[in-house]
Amino acid sequence: MHGPYRIGVDVGGTFTDVVCLGADGSTALAKAATTPDDQSRGVLDGLATLAADLGVTLAALLTNTERLVHGTTVATNALLERRTARVGMLTTEGHRDVVEMREGLKPERYDLRLSPPPPLVPRRLRLPLRERLGAGGEVAVPLDEASLQAAIEALRDADVEAVAICLLHAWRDPSHERTAAEAIRHALPGVYVTLSSDVLPQIKEYERFSTTVVNGAVGPIVGGYLGRLETRLREAGFHGPLFVILSHGGVAPVAEAARLAAGTALSGPAGGVAAGLALARAGLGEDLVTFDVGGTSTDVALIERGEAALGRGRVVGGERIALESLDIVTLGAGGGSIAHLGAGGMMRVGPRSAGAVPGPACYGGGGWEPAVTDANLVLGYLDPDRFLGGRRRLDLGAAQAAVDRLATLLGIGRLDCAAGIHALANVAMADGIRLATVRRGVDPRGFTLLAFGGAAGLHASAVARDLGMRRIAVPLLAAGLSAWGMLQTDLRYEVSRSLVGVEGMPGEPALRGIFAELETAARRRLAEWMPGDPAIRRSADMRYGEQVFEIGVPLDAVDWGGADLPSRLAEAFHRRHEALFTYAMHGEEVVLVTARVAAVGRLPGSPAPAPPDREAAAPLGPRRAVIDGRELALPVHGFERLMPDQRVAGPAIVESDTTTVLLLPGDLARLDARGWLEVELPA
Amino acid sequence: MTPSPDPVTLAVLENRFRGLVEEMGEALLRTATSQILNSSRDFSIALCDSQARLVAQADHIPVHVGAMPFAAAAVLDAFPGAVRPGDCFLLNDPWHGGSHLPDLTIVQPVFADRTLQFLCVVRAHQSDIGGATHGGYNPSATEIWQEGIRIPPIRLGERDELREDLVAMLALNTRIQRDFRGDLMAMWGAARLGARRLEALLGTHGAAPLRAAVDAILDLAEAHARRIIGAWADGEWTGEAVLDDDGHALTNVTIRARVTKRGDAITVDLSDSAPQTAGFVNSSWPNTVSAARMALAYLLDPEVAKNDGAFRPLTVLAREGTVVRAAEGAAVTLCTSHPSNEIVEAIVKALSTAAPDRAMGGWGRRFRVAITGGDPRRAGRRFVWHLFHARPGGGGHARGDGWSCAGEWHSAGGLKFGSVEMAEARFPLFFARHEFRPGSAGDGTHRGGFGAELELRIETAGPARANTAGDGVRHGAAGMLGGRDGAPHRYSLLRADGSSRDLRTKEAGLVLSPGDVLVVRSGGGGGWGPPEGRMPDARAADAAEGLA
Repeated sequence: MHGPYRIGVDVGGTFTDVVCLGADGSTALAKAATTPDDQSRGVLDGLATLAADLGVTLAALLTNTERLVHGTTVATNALLERRTARVGMLTTEGHRDVVEMREGLKPERYDLRLSPPPPLVPRRLRLPLRERLGAGGEVAVPLDEASLQAAIEALRDADVEAVAICLLHAWRDPSHERTAAEAIRHALPGVYVTLSSDVLPQIKEYERFSTTVVNGAVGPIVGGYLGRLETRLREAGFHGPLFVILSHGGVAPVAEAARLAAGTALSGPAGGVAAGLALARAGLGEDLVTFDVGGTSTDVALIERGEAALGRGRVVGGERIALESLDIVTLGAGGGSIAHLGAGGMMRVGPRSAGAVPGPACYGGGGWEPAVTDANLVLGYLDPDRFLGGRRRLDLGAAQAAVDRLATLLGIGRLDCAAGIHALANVAMADGIRLATVRRGVDPRGFTLLAFGGAAGLHASAVARDLGMRRIAVPLLAAGLSAWGMLQTDLRYEVSRSLVGVEGMPGEPALRGIFAELETAARRRLAEWMPGDPAIRRSADMRYGEQVFEIGVPLDAVDWGGADLPSRLAEAFHRRHEALFTYAMHGEEVVLVTARVAAVGRLPGSPAPAPPDREAAAPLGPRRAVIDGRELALPVHGFERLMPDQRVAGPAIVESDTTTVLLLPGDLARLDARGWLEVELPA
Repeated sequence: MTPSPDPVTLAVLENRFRGLVEEMGEALLRTATSQILNSSRDFSIALCDSQARLVAQADHIPVHVGAMPFAAAAVLDAFPGAVRPGDCFLLNDPWHGGSHLPDLTIVQPVFADRTLQFLCVVRAHQSDIGGATHGGYNPSATEIWQEGIRIPPIRLGERDELREDLVAMLALNTRIQRDFRGDLMAMWGAARLGARRLEALLGTHGAAPLRAAVDAILDLAEAHARRIIGAWADGEWTGEAVLDDDGHALTNVTIRARVTKRGDAITVDLSDSAPQTAGFVNSSWPNTVSAARMALAYLLDPEVAKNDGAFRPLTVLAREGTVVRAAEGAAVTLCTSHPSNEIVEAIVKALSTAAPDRAMGGWGRRFRVAITGGDPRRAGRRFVWHLFHARPGGGGHARGDGWSCAGEWHSAGGLKFGSVEMAEARFPLFFARHEFRPGSAGDGTHRGGFGAELELRIETAGPARANTAGDGVRHGAAGMLGGRDGAPHRYSLLRADGSSRDLRTKEAGLVLSPGDVLVVRSGGGGGWGPPEGRMPDARAADAAEGLA
C-alpha cells in the first residue's frame, strides 16, 4: 500500500476502527481500544497501530494522508450518561417551561409510577427575556434591555458553559435572538452560544427549543473534543482536512460539526449507512437494508432507490433532536443480549445485554445468563476454537449450562431453548427492520439485506426469510465497514426555506425562483469546502391544507423542464400520501411548507476491498450444527479463500477471522468480485 | 382445534399485533386535519378478534381502550352474518357501542378464506359533532338529542369505497365540514392500513394458527394479571370521589366504589353512586366499564399486556339509573372525563390498602374550553378550537414525584397540548403566558406534579363564543395514603374593559370579545404519603426552581 492515504475512523463502544485506503486502491484495517475519557487518544493509538502495520512512522503516515473522516459518539454518550455541559437558556417571558412540559406528553402510558427525567437545563437557569413576536413575525413586545442584562448577570453567576437562546416565533424573525446573542458573546466571552433560529429555523417551539438546548448541552463537549483531536493530529503531522460524519450522513468540517453539535448524535452509526450507499453505487443494488449487528445493539437503516431515508423525530437520552437525521433504528439486540423468562411467562431476549463485561457465559468472564452468542455456540454455528480467528476461546460447557437454566424454567430441552433464543433474536432484529421499512410504508421484500458488524452473518438469512427478503450481501470487510463507509461519504450541504405566509402552492415563477435561489446558496456553500460540480437534490415538505404534519417528498423524479410545475409537485405529493397512508385527497389544497435543495459533492470513492484472485480452496470443517431441529454436518468455507464467482450452497458456514455467515438450506451464495458474498434465498 | 403456537411464534405475533396498532396511530396522527387529533392526539386504536375481544392496543388514550370492544361487538350485533369483505362501519351512539357522541369509531373487518378474522377499531374525538353547541360538549343538555348526531352502527363503506351520500349527510350535521371530512379520511386510512397488515399476516401464518395465537396471548395476559392481583391482601373496601356538580342544580355528585378482592379476582360495585343526574356528567355503561378497567390497568405492572385477558379478573357492577349507568336518552357527553376520573380515583383509593405501593396520588381533572369564531387573518373563516394547554399535574407515587402538566387519569400523559406557535398561527389566539403553576402540587412524601398557568388573549374577528366542560374547581386531585390533594382549578375571564369573573366548569353560550383574556390556573396532582416524610432537599429543590 502506498499514499496518499485516506483514513476513516469509527469510534465504537469497545473498539476504535481505523480503515486506510491507499492510492493503489488497497485497504488496511487496524483496531485499538476505545478510550472513553478522551476518545482522541484511542484515535491516535489506532493510527499508530495502522502506521506500524504499514511499516511507516505515524508522522510519515499522516503527512501523506489527504483526508481524514471521523465518526464520534461523544455527543451520544454525553446525552445517554447525562454528562452534559452546564447550559443556561434565554427564553420568551411567560414561556420558560416549554422544554420541561414536553407538550404534556409522557411516555409509557400505563406506567403511572414513572417519574419525569430531570431537564437538561434546570428551571432556575431558564431565564425570561421580556420580548414577544406574533405568529406573523411582527413585534408584539420589543426586546427589553433590562431583562437581557438581568439574565446575563444570572448566567454569569451560574458560571454556565453554554447558552441556548430560544424565543417564540424566532424562526420567522431571528433579530431578537441575534441581539441577545451579541450581548452574551460580549459579556461572557468563551461561552458557547446557540440560537434556535440558527439550529432549527422552523415552527413548533418544543422541537426547536429542545434541539437548541441539546445543542448547548453537547456543543462545548463536542467542540472541545474535536479541538483536542485536531490539535493531536496536527502535532502528529496531519495537515489535511478533518471531516466529521453527521447524523444526516453527510460529512462536514470540524467547525460546522461543533456549531451544530446536536447533529452529531448519530455520527457513530452513520458510517454504516454511508457504506451501504457506497455499495449501492458499486453495483450491489439500489434498494438495501443496512443491518449492523454488534455486541449490544443492532442498527438498521433503509436505502431506497440509492438514497438513505431521513427523519426528524430522533430522541436521544430522552431528549428530542428534531434535526434531519438518518432514519437509523437502534435496537437493544445483539450478540450479548440476554434471554430470560419475562414477567408474563413469555420467553424474552434483551434488551438487557451482557455487554463486554461479564460478556456472554461462553466468554468465561463470569456471565451465567444465556446470551444470544451462547445460543449460537450451543447450536454449533460458532466454533469455540476459531472465534475471532482463535484469539478468544469460547467455553461451550458454560454456554450449555446457561441455556439449560432457562430451558428448565420453560420446560423444554436445551436445543429447543437455544433455537428459541436464536429465533427471538431474529424476531427482534426483524422487528427493527420492520420499524425501518414497513412502518415507513416500505415493503422490504424487494430489498437486499446488507449484513455487517461482527454478528450479523449468523442471523441475516433467518431474518431475511422472516421478512420475505430474497437477497443478502455480506461484505468481506464486514467488521470494519462503518469506518470504510465514512471514506465513501459525499459532502452534502442542504439549504431549506419555509414559505412563511404563503397559503397553498406558490405559482410557477415563484416556485422556480425559490428552488433556483436555494440551489445557488447550496452550491456556493459547498464550493467553500470542495471544488467541482455538485449533484443537486430537490425535495419539499408538503401537506394537505388543514394537516399539521408534512411529509417529505423527493422531487428528483419530477420533470423540472416541463410546464405547470406546481401541478407536478402536487401530484408527486398525492402519490406519496397514498403510498404511505392508503389514500389521497385530490380535490384538497396542497401546501408546500418547506423547499429543500442539497448540493452533493461526490468525493472520489473506492471499490470495496476485493478478494485476491487465486485458486479455490477446499472447504474446512465440517461443523455439526442444529438447523430447524435437525443436526447437520455443515461444510465451513474460509471467506478470504473463496474465489470470485465461486458458489456455496446452504446449509453451510462461510467464516473469516471477524465474521461468520450461516447459510440455511436452500441458500445459494456467490462471492462477488467487487468484495461481497451475495446470497440468494429460496422462494 | 389448532394447537397453541410455540412460545417463539407467540412472541412474534404479539409484537406484530402491537406494532400494527402503533403504525395505525402514527398514520392517523400525521394525516388528521383537526387540532384535537393532529396536535392533541385524542384518538385510540384497537385490534379485536372476530368475537370482539381486545387483542392489542397501543399507548393512546386509556379511557378509550376498555370501551372499544363494545364498538366491535355492536357492529357484529347490528349486522349478524352480514359483515362482508371491503365493508367499513361507523358508530358513535353510547347505547350502540359508543361512549359519547364526539368519539366517532370506525370498525374495519378483516377476512381470510371469506371468514371474518379481525376488526380494526379506530376511535377519534371529533372537533364538532353537531348538536346545540359547537365543539361537542353541551353543558346545558338534559338529553342526548341535544348533544349531537347519534349514529348507530352503519355501513359507511362497501367494496373498499366510502359511501359519499352517507359521508355528505354526516358532514352536513357538523359545523366544520372540512375538518370532519379530513379526519374521517384519516381514520379510514388508518383502519385500512391495519387491515392490509393483518391480511399479510394472515397470508403468512394462516387463519387458524393466528386464532390459536390470539387465545394463547389473551390467556397469558390473564394469568399475568391474576398472579399480580393474587399477591395483594384480600378484603372489601369502599372508595369515594366527588364531582363538583352536574352543571344544573346539583352539587357534589358522589362516585362510590365498593371493591371486593378475593384471591386473584376483583369485583367493583358502583351501585351506591349518586342517582342519574339532569346534566351531561352521566356515564354510559361502556365508559364506566372502561374506567374501571383503566383503574386496574394502572395498578397492574406496566408490562402486563392490556388486552381482553388482562381484564378478565375484573367484574364491574352498577345499577341502572345511577350516574355511572344512565338510562338510554340521558345526556352523557362529559363522561369520558367525568365521572371517568372519579371512578378511577374511587377504585384506586379503595385498593390503596391492599396495594399501597401501587396506588398513586390523583391525576388532574379535565376543564376544557371550546372556542368558536372567525379568524381575521383568513377572511373571518370559522374555526373551533379546544383548550388542551395548561394541563393539570399527575399524581405522586411510591417511586417519586408526579409528572407536571401530564394531564388527567383518563389520558395519563397521552394528550398533547401541541405547539403554542402552531396554535397562534392557525387560530386568532395569543398565549401571553404558559408556565408551571407554583404551589399547585399536592404535598406528600412524593408530591404531585404541577399544573399550569395560562393567559390566553382572544383576537377573533368580532365576538367569539365559548363553552366550558369540565370539573374540579371545588375538588382537587386526591391525595393518597396521607398525601394532600392537589390545588383545584381556577379559571377566570378578564374582560377587555377590566372586569373579571370566575368561570364555572359547565357554561354554554359564553360570548368573548376581542381583547378578552382567559386566565387559567390548572390543578396539580395529588400527593402520595404523608408530607412529613418528604426529604428536605426535595423541598429545597422545588424552592430553588421557583415552584414551592
